[in-house]
Amino acid sequence: MNPTHNKKDVIIVGTGIAGSLIAKLLSDHVFDATKGKMVHRADAGKSDNIREISILMYEAGLEAGIELDSVSSMTTYNEYIRTFYREEAKVPNSPYPNLKQAPSPNVLDMEHIVQPYPDKKGYLVQFGPMPFASDAIRVGGGTTLHWLGTTPRMLPNDFKLTEKYGIKIPKPDSDEKTAVDWPISYEELRPYYEMAEFEIGVSGDVSRQEYPITEKTEEYYGNYVFPMEEIPQSYMDHKIIEGLKGTSVKLSSGEIPLMMVPSPQGRNSIPNPKYGKTKVIKAEPKDSGYKLVLDSSEKEEYKALGSVWNPYMGERCEGNASCVPICPVQAKYNALKTLKKALYKMNDNDNLSRNLFMQIQAQSVVYKLSIDQNDSHKISKVHLRKYISKEKTDFVEESIDTSDAIVILAANAFENPKILLNSKYTTPEGVKTAANSSDQVGRNLMDHMVMLTWGLFPEPVYPYRGPGSTTNISSFRDGEFRKDFSAWISPLDNWGWGWPAFSPGSDVAYFIKEKHFGAELREKLTDRLSKQVLFHFEIEQLPNPNNRVTINDEYLDVLGIPRPVIHYELTEYEMKAMEQAKDASDQMFKRLNITDFTKYTAEDKNSVIYNGVRYSYNGAGHIVGTHRMGSKAEESVTDSYCKTWDHPNLYVVGAGNMTTLGTSNPTLTLSAFTIRSVESILADLEIQLKK
Amino acid sequence: MNIINKILNVDDYYFDVFMSISEALTGFTVNELQSTGLAETYYTYVLKCLEAATFVEFLTVSKNILESSSGEEELKKAIQSEIIAHPGMNDISGKVITMWYLGTWEGAYINDLSYKEGLVWNLMHSHPPGAKQPGYKSWNIKPVNTQS
Repeated sequence: MNPTHNKKDVIIVGTGIAGSLIAKLLSDHVFDATKGKMVHRADAGKSDNIREISILMYEAGLEAGIELDSVSSMTTYNEYIRTFYREEAKVPNSPYPNLKQAPSPNVLDMEHIVQPYPDKKGYLVQFGPMPFASDAIRVGGGTTLHWLGTTPRMLPNDFKLTEKYGIKIPKPDSDEKTAVDWPISYEELRPYYEMAEFEIGVSGDVSRQEYPITEKTEEYYGNYVFPMEEIPQSYMDHKIIEGLKGTSVKLSSGEIPLMMVPSPQGRNSIPNPKYGKTKVIKAEPKDSGYKLVLDSSEKEEYKALGSVWNPYMGERCEGNASCVPICPVQAKYNALKTLKKALYKMNDNDNLSRNLFMQIQAQSVVYKLSIDQNDSHKISKVHLRKYISKEKTDFVEESIDTSDAIVILAANAFENPKILLNSKYTTPEGVKTAANSSDQVGRNLMDHMVMLTWGLFPEPVYPYRGPGSTTNISSFRDGEFRKDFSAWISPLDNWGWGWPAFSPGSDVAYFIKEKHFGAELREKLTDRLSKQVLFHFEIEQLPNPNNRVTINDEYLDVLGIPRPVIHYELTEYEMKAMEQAKDASDQMFKRLNITDFTKYTAEDKNSVIYNGVRYSYNGAGHIVGTHRMGSKAEESVTDSYCKTWDHPNLYVVGAGNMTTLGTSNPTLTLSAFTIRSVESILADLEIQLKK
Repeated sequence: MNIINKILNVDDYYFDVFMSISEALTGFTVNELQSTGLAETYYTYVLKCLEAATFVEFLTVSKNILESSSGEEELKKAIQSEIIAHPGMNDISGKVITMWYLGTWEGAYINDLSYKEGLVWNLMHSHPPGAKQPGYKSWNIKPVNTQS
């Protein structure tokens, strides 16, 4: 077959972790026409009757970002690092290209919203009443370039908040309430968590994971070890654990014992010999459909995978302490590693060679889908605007015929709904938008509200070293109190007051202003900076149909594509959790003799008053929920395999699928169910290729 | 040995003054300041950023203080009264301290190296994020360079 043949089997929009996982898993499989089945490359043999899956990916970011040969990827990445060094505000997006043609939401653009006027300073148009406080980056590899890398799994109860705690949410524009249970259980997702942990390369110790769950560790994790050993906890963590061990805090719901857990993380440590050989994720054909399994490969020992340009660089985390926004050696996982495995395959001589059936077209902003109503509402075209260069805003209008291809939207939770809402089509019942018969596209936008508390430890704990966070307090992740207020996870942060107080720069400025200089200045700063501690309270937000991404012809970007328009607010359920979390913080600070420096003011961009007390929070970068999965077509956008209910050849994947947020960082979970979606995609491909 | 290149058209002598007053203001020795590799860069940078007359005035005041103070206490008092108490002088001294500590001048990094060599990281026994990394597991123990 001619690899440059125009026909594509699969079109993937976005090269972030969801798109890259699918591209990698699909390109690991081929169609065995004799058997009429998709089989893993390793099992395909040398039959003449093998057909490769041709994949085309679109990426809105620059061409350079997806050039993954060693020299180009190193050049591009080093440019990111140099930019990071020079940027004064070292926010998550600071190292990466800020493109006018594919703009990214940036925390620096967030402003107070004075209703009825929106904040439209940045890419997002924010109508509020509260500004949505998280960013993402549109670049090859997506937001995993600046994620922290923390990878706790969700807890079993997170998947069934209605069943367990009776939590229900209003239906859109209605007083009627609806359930928020996921269409899959933790139990069903567990094998895919293992696959995700393999692909990401998670370091951790299963035996030290302690959660407020009724399940035993053996049920929760099974007979399992993480691929790599636990990332060492920071010196500061040890000091805090020493002071809190065996104690509890008293909340309105009762006493809660404190559990300090070393966080599983997607960053390289030492491969765990007990994990055994490296593995492959492969599809086992069933009578109908496919089951993905994590199979041991006899070929080689499990190895940590370093940087994209040099696998021996970044084999261990070396303590750069800049995980967000950039790991200089890529010891922290990012999706470019998975993308490269899709682009380069082992040839017969065990050398990497370019996979000719896989193409990525960068600088291509997908903005609309066409729907063929005469063919069971299939997606018939993907429309995009390809811009010419970073500097220029000229673009070429392109579209690709997808009538016999599978389309996978794998952009972030702002972009996926934006594209769907921009895909209008007229039916006898009126104008519809893609995948939106449930009216759930763009709704239920969620984030973790990160309430921070900070203070000075009575002795030096030497922060500003190591990965961003190596320990979390997991006590508040589940419990009967969820009937009343949000659960939360409390990571301990290794980077001093950098986030809430712009330390150390603000400390330098403060002591200079206080007229200190010389030895005295040096002593004051040493004392202040070596004692700084920061606690997080990452508070779960429930799905709320009024928290949403919409589009509006009045707000377009330079390519004439609608910008995401955001409506966002908090409910009492979440505000009460802030009150409770602050109470927990006060008790822990007291026990540790931490001098509290926490200050929430009206100037804070995200600030609420609850029971007469002010609480401020930040975004966690956990943008989820805008194309929820569900068990009923009327209440969700996709099924549990991320396949849209409305269109037989359209999948929408990513954090947007999450039905609820729980208290874990979402990347691992989205990776798990995205991997699972490949089972359904393979089954669809089988039918398609048999034709 | 103290080899100093002729810098612009300002007398070399002022460079030594700049370094000595930087020592007194930052609490880091001239040797420590020199080891950033940025002393000359910073000196020329300030010359470029400030009006020459203003900088020369700052250096002249500094020179007088340094020459007339016999001990550390005296120097400290002189800096307090001649520099810190004087708004214009205090502004420059604050900027100079910030430049050494953080590598920035009015919020902007002077170059890549100035970010990496900010002295603030040394005094907290850490390192600039993303550079001069200390190695696997180093964060698990008390920093090796602490005295206690």
